[in-house]
Amino acid sequence: MHFYLPIAEMSANIFIFLGMGGAVGFLSGMFGVGGGFLMTPLLIFSGIPPAVAVGTEAAQIVASSVSGAIAQWQRKNVDFKMGTVLLIGGLIGSVFGVQLVRVLRAAGQFDMVVALSYVTFLGIIGSLMMIESANAMRKSRNGRPGTGRRPGQHSWIHGLPLKMRFHRSKLYISAIPPLLIGGLVGVLAAIMGVGGGFIMVPAMIYLLRVPTNVVVGTSLFQIVFVTAATTILHAYQNYTVDIVLALLLMVGGVIGAQFGAVAGEKLKGEQLRFLLAGLVIAVCLKMAWGLIGTPNELYSIAPALAGGH
Amino acid sequence: MRGRMCVARAALATGRSVARSFGEMLGRSLAIGVFCTGFAVAAIDGAARAQAPAREPSPQQPQTAPSSVNLAEESQDQPEREKVHADISTRSVRVTSSFTGTEIIVFGSIQNGRPEKPQSNDLYDVVVVLEGTPQELTARRKSNVLGLWINTQSLTFESVPSYYAISSTRPLEEIADPVVLRNHDIGFEQVRMTPISGWESGITTADLRKFKEAVIRLKMNSGLYVQNEYGVVFVGGASLFRTTIDLPANVPVGTLKARVLLFRQGQMLSQFEAQVLMQREGIERYLHDFAFGFPLFYGIAAVIIAAAAGLAASSYFGRRRAR
Repeated sequence: MHFYLPIAEMSANIFIFLGMGGAVGFLSGMFGVGGGFLMTPLLIFSGIPPAVAVGTEAAQIVASSVSGAIAQWQRKNVDFKMGTVLLIGGLIGSVFGVQLVRVLRAAGQFDMVVALSYVTFLGIIGSLMMIESANAMRKSRNGRPGTGRRPGQHSWIHGLPLKMRFHRSKLYISAIPPLLIGGLVGVLAAIMGVGGGFIMVPAMIYLLRVPTNVVVGTSLFQIVFVTAATTILHAYQNYTVDIVLALLLMVGGVIGAQFGAVAGEKLKGEQLRFLLAGLVIAVCLKMAWGLIGTPNELYSIAPALAGGH
Repeated sequence: MRGRMCVARAALATGRSVARSFGEMLGRSLAIGVFCTGFAVAAIDGAARAQAPAREPSPQQPQTAPSSVNLAEESQDQPEREKVHADISTRSVRVTSSFTGTEIIVFGSIQNGRPEKPQSNDLYDVVVVLEGTPQELTARRKSNVLGLWINTQSLTFESVPSYYAISSTRPLEEIADPVVLRNHDIGFEQVRMTPISGWESGITTADLRKFKEAVIRLKMNSGLYVQNEYGVVFVGGASLFRTTIDLPANVPVGTLKARVLLFRQGQMLSQFEAQVLMQREGIERYLHDFAFGFPLFYGIAAVIIAAAAGLAASSYFGRRRAR
């Protein structure tokens, strides 16, 4: 059964995109990740224009993260003050990122920048995760419990001005690092079609030392609002949000996530992380090949974009 | 189908029958009869021969402006001049949410046609061209920069047909000279591509040619430029023809222009033009107008829908799990 996608302007088999949403939903349920970093590349590989993939995926992340954010809020796992600082940075980053998308599309460089961003971030995150999980698996096999690394108590971050007290996180630190982290996540949300949890969670744990129990809730709080703003901005400035496609992905995604969560309970944490790292690296390599491999066709055509509006 | 075409033909015939000789009328109705029943090919040949005594097409060079042809047709001094009549199965294509492409049938007949001599090269040729709305198009070329394949050159062309289908009775080069084809804008090579920007990136004439070739190649690969060299077939003898043109789902929405051109001995004798309206309808149109007309509200609506979908799903699955 086919459906003509109004923004992507192509006739798509709805079962393919439901299935894609389901598969990514399954993985994100299993690994407890948002799935944007898998979904956007898959959409691009399946022929959706990269700009539409990114804009549409932002809408889908709103759907997949809103219920998690509310659940965390009910369990009081959200540091609203920290979340708000991250959010302010995120909104600024998102506005900037959406402008960047517009400029890059007009210059014909957007596809390359998307691929390059994916290769860079997935490459770094994937390798770090793989090393970390491999170490943890080896340690647990040796009988020693794999404890989280806690590096030195003081770092350059404590020397920055604009200090704020974050009661929920029991922190007294400068507002600049969370603003910058939020800003980076906002830019990535706009140009990569991701929630950015894969950057924000490690950064909060290792750089800001936010207690682990509030990390997930606080980052979800930020992600919901930043992706919502990104969706609106993409729709407004780039006309790249395909609501029909987003709905197909949402439906597939929520169903897949339910099964994924059940499957995830049967695997150990480090095994899960190792598998996820493998997946991240695979997507990274596929993207990298598109940049490095000699293309069969050097030329490409696209309808000319009217400059701004 | 045949019935419908007959009705269409009959309507055409009656509409144009004023101030025509009785013999012509007879010939035309005979032609209709032959088409509907599909027999007695000889009859139409006979009738055609009777009404159109051997007229040698002048060997002079290209028949140019179609307007002059029409002028000649309108004046009653040369009633024996061949004229092509045609119509299209669908004058409006509706792009709905279930649109997966469609098929367009172009059919018609040659009026005042002369008998064909199979041995000689003296045959009628019909070329059907279906063109999509012209669009501004940017073509880009990648080259290797520090190991990465990056778009380095780009050219924006003014009004390139978004879709271009040619169907003919035989290969175009057998039908007429390139000059004639160019005069009538037939063939992918004749598609006008005027660069409007991109010259600043140092593009030479040779580059421009490669860019044009690439545009045609890419359009062909995506099924938007199609050519069927034996697509037009004559049915029931010499004067009735038809062709089927595929309109794939990726054709950009917009009005299409159809042209039917009649050739004989390398010359364009008569041409027919019509438009096919292609537009969005139903929910498809509503969503598209909403997204492009009120993008801010569309974005807000998208967020509300997404949030509602997420909440609905979690409450549904949450309740099921609690049970």
